Amino acid sequence: MASRREFVTTLGVALVASTASRVFAQQGAEAPGATMLGDGYIPVRRVPRPAAAKRLTALERDQVERMISCPCPCTLDVFTCRTSMPCGFSPRMHADVVALTNGGYSSDEILAAFEQAYGEKILMAPHKQGFNWVGWIAPFAAVGTGGVVVGALIRRWGRRAAEMRTASPVPIEASDDEMARLDAAVRGEDR
Amino acid sequence: MILLGELSLWAALLMAAWSATVSFAGGRIGRVDLVASGERAMYATFAFVVLSSIGLWSALLTSDFSLRFVASYTSANLPAVYKFSAFWGGQAGSMLFWCLILALYSAITLYANRRRNRELMPYVTGTLALVLVFFLATTAFGANPYARLDWVPPDGTGLNPQLQNPGMAIHPPNLYLGYVATAVPFAFAIAALITRRLDAEWLAAVRRWSLVSWLFLTIGITLGMWWAYVELGWGGYWAWDPVENASLLPWLTGTAFLHSIMIQEKRGMLRKWNVTLVVATFLLSILGTFITRSGVIESVHSFAQSPIGNWFAGFLVTSIVATGILVATRLKDLEARAELESMVSREAAFLYNNVVLVGIAFSVLWGTLFPIISEAVRGSKITVGPPFFNTVNIPLGLLLLGLTGVGPLIAWRRASVANLKRQFAAPVAGGLGLGAALFALGMRDGYALVSYTLAGFVTTTIGQEFVKGVGARRRMHGESMPVALMRLVGRNRRRYGGYIVHFGIVVLFAAFAGLAFKKEYDLSLTPGASFTALDPYNRTWTFTSQGVSRYEELNRQVTAVILEAKRAGAPPTLIKSEKRQHVDSQGNPSFEPSTEVGILESLRQDVYLVLHGVTGEETAEIRITFNPLVWWVWYGGIIMAIGGLIVMWPQATRAGSKRRAEGGYVVVMQPSERPPVEAGV
Repeated sequence: MASRREFVTTLGVALVASTASRVFAQQGAEAPGATMLGDGYIPVRRVPRPAAAKRLTALERDQVERMISCPCPCTLDVFTCRTSMPCGFSPRMHADVVALTNGGYSSDEILAAFEQAYGEKILMAPHKQGFNWVGWIAPFAAVGTGGVVVGALIRRWGRRAAEMRTASPVPIEASDDEMARLDAAVRGEDR
Repeated sequence: MILLGELSLWAALLMAAWSATVSFAGGRIGRVDLVASGERAMYATFAFVVLSSIGLWSALLTSDFSLRFVASYTSANLPAVYKFSAFWGGQAGSMLFWCLILALYSAITLYANRRRNRELMPYVTGTLALVLVFFLATTAFGANPYARLDWVPPDGTGLNPQLQNPGMAIHPPNLYLGYVATAVPFAFAIAALITRRLDAEWLAAVRRWSLVSWLFLTIGITLGMWWAYVELGWGGYWAWDPVENASLLPWLTGTAFLHSIMIQEKRGMLRKWNVTLVVATFLLSILGTFITRSGVIESVHSFAQSPIGNWFAGFLVTSIVATGILVATRLKDLEARAELESMVSREAAFLYNNVVLVGIAFSVLWGTLFPIISEAVRGSKITVGPPFFNTVNIPLGLLLLGLTGVGPLIAWRRASVANLKRQFAAPVAGGLGLGAALFALGMRDGYALVSYTLAGFVTTTIGQEFVKGVGARRRMHGESMPVALMRLVGRNRRRYGGYIVHFGIVVLFAAFAGLAFKKEYDLSLTPGASFTALDPYNRTWTFTSQGVSRYEELNRQVTAVILEAKRAGAPPTLIKSEKRQHVDSQGNPSFEPSTEVGILESLRQDVYLVLHGVTGEETAEIRITFNPLVWWVWYGGIIMAIGGLIVMWPQATRAGSKRRAEGGYVVVMQPSERPPVEAGV
């Protein structure tokens, strides 16, 4: 099993290598206009369910489209792309979603069908599983850790300040609130 | 003019290189003549960059299609205002625009500090010149707007129709003004680190520049949201696109710095942290530029992928390493002069505010980069879009909103229980009261309820601060309410300007929460047909199609639908949405069709009409969206900008009073002129 240091080193090297390969691969490249025309579109079709009834309203269908990423370089979801800057992909993907909706498929089933065809990258957010948890948890962990560290630092500083007050040769007979007011008054402003 | 412009670009590069070399050398060996030469070279650099920019503007306005840049981003029939704004519409021009702003800021910095901060200035000049060398070299060698075509085409490609919008003419310059302004505090930080003069002196010099950056980024981001809303036609204003995220990152760390700088000014603390924030803000603005221009991360806003991504990556890595080494060798000089005493103090609240702001910045950066990280680790690419960013950032944003209200209520150093009770009673009651009232009125969306409760809490906090301050002035000076209010703000600009910014944040959050109640309708309407819909306030609207019309206008063919919108008890209004096909000067289609939305604006909600297309002869396929409180997003941005301006506005100094006295006015300073010191703050 790899140690934490090995894991971090491997991750760092992999990141740098991946970024560098992307950067160098783009030397002299122009905007990929060809892919915008629709190369790489994969039809997502399913046989309609017998006596299928539409299970989604138009708005629920739009919500599904908002969970599917448009493969053109716009980085938008299918709904946003087709309603604002239609490319070679989003109108056809919309048609696929409409066909699946009319075929009686649910939101989850439609998303699963797209994922099966394109891979996980077609979803606007990664599944909460495996390595993706790192992505989901890291921001909260960072803020939580920051909060705990700041709390610990303030406690330590507070203890030290209290010790210094105790060691002060001249006793000051004032409450903390009075000290704070005095401090603000001396400074002439309080922000 | 074009030749002059091109030559000026190269001359500017040489001048900046000279300025960097002699400024650092002059500072190091203490040669005043070298330092003066470096400063003169910087002014010359500015002059040459101005000439180069005039050359490019001249080529754009005269449609000189021999230049690749002009042919790529304009056409003969493009309105003049968009020919002018095409300067920053493409990669090469926007690089030159960066140089122009940086050279301008550098010249202003040198002039403003011609008698101040003299120990720091050689290194400030040198650092700014080095950054300029990088940008000018990248422009000259990697993305030269003066690059010629082998043949002169009869017409240019034209400007993307979605950039042909007044918002787009002013939004990018504001963002650039914000991004580039981060270079000045960075230069002062580097100078302070090199000279080891890490007291409050350099902070005083950078505070206003940090505010300039913050203000322009605020305006730029708000304008960007407005542009996305009125131009893109998807009914929203923020899509968590990597380039949008890139603009948010320096804004967040810059905001954190503007709070933590107060702790260093007051208590001599957080010196390492403040240097780190200044450096991080600059590097994040460079990272944002790298993201926009490298193509490493796909974005709807990105310029065409180009090799200058390598330049930016190299600059970023070099800056991080060099600054890291500099900070590491100065750690002893960055030791704090005092220490925090209590968890319940304003300093602690500011620290927690910093943790959340930097945490949000981290989460935005993390989400933006996670597709690359995931690919590196798992070998498969994933997409990280709005569902991720909303899930992660909404709770953090609400935490930040809460802290916005808490900070001003706690005393510096240490707050007593009595002080807390007295200060928090009204704001907590205000927030809970508003939340309870909205719940009783039927609001059930959890995030919206929390948002409005916190908004009530923060608004009451701000109101309480103003009421106390005005009351104190009226008691002490017998002033009328408006006079007391004006003098209160005028004489404590940082504090009360800050509260106005906080109120702008409250307004923004209230507007964001309004989105939870948005309602959308998809429909097909033939001429004369009507559709009835309920808005989020349960009011009935009737929309009647007035038919579809087709016509030509300027450089486009337009298909438009007009609806009559009628709400019970209100006069009918017309609302129009267009589908535009832009054409070149030969009448050939030049871009994909674009949408021009129709918006019926009001303070309560926008009625947002989008024409998807026309089937048959006159059946309009449309979407009607009721977007509650959208206007408050723009008002929130405006309020924040006004607050920022008040904070930035120079406070009258004793020197100013002395000058007025010398000019014949009698200035009497009395103890009562001093701002009141209020209990508990």
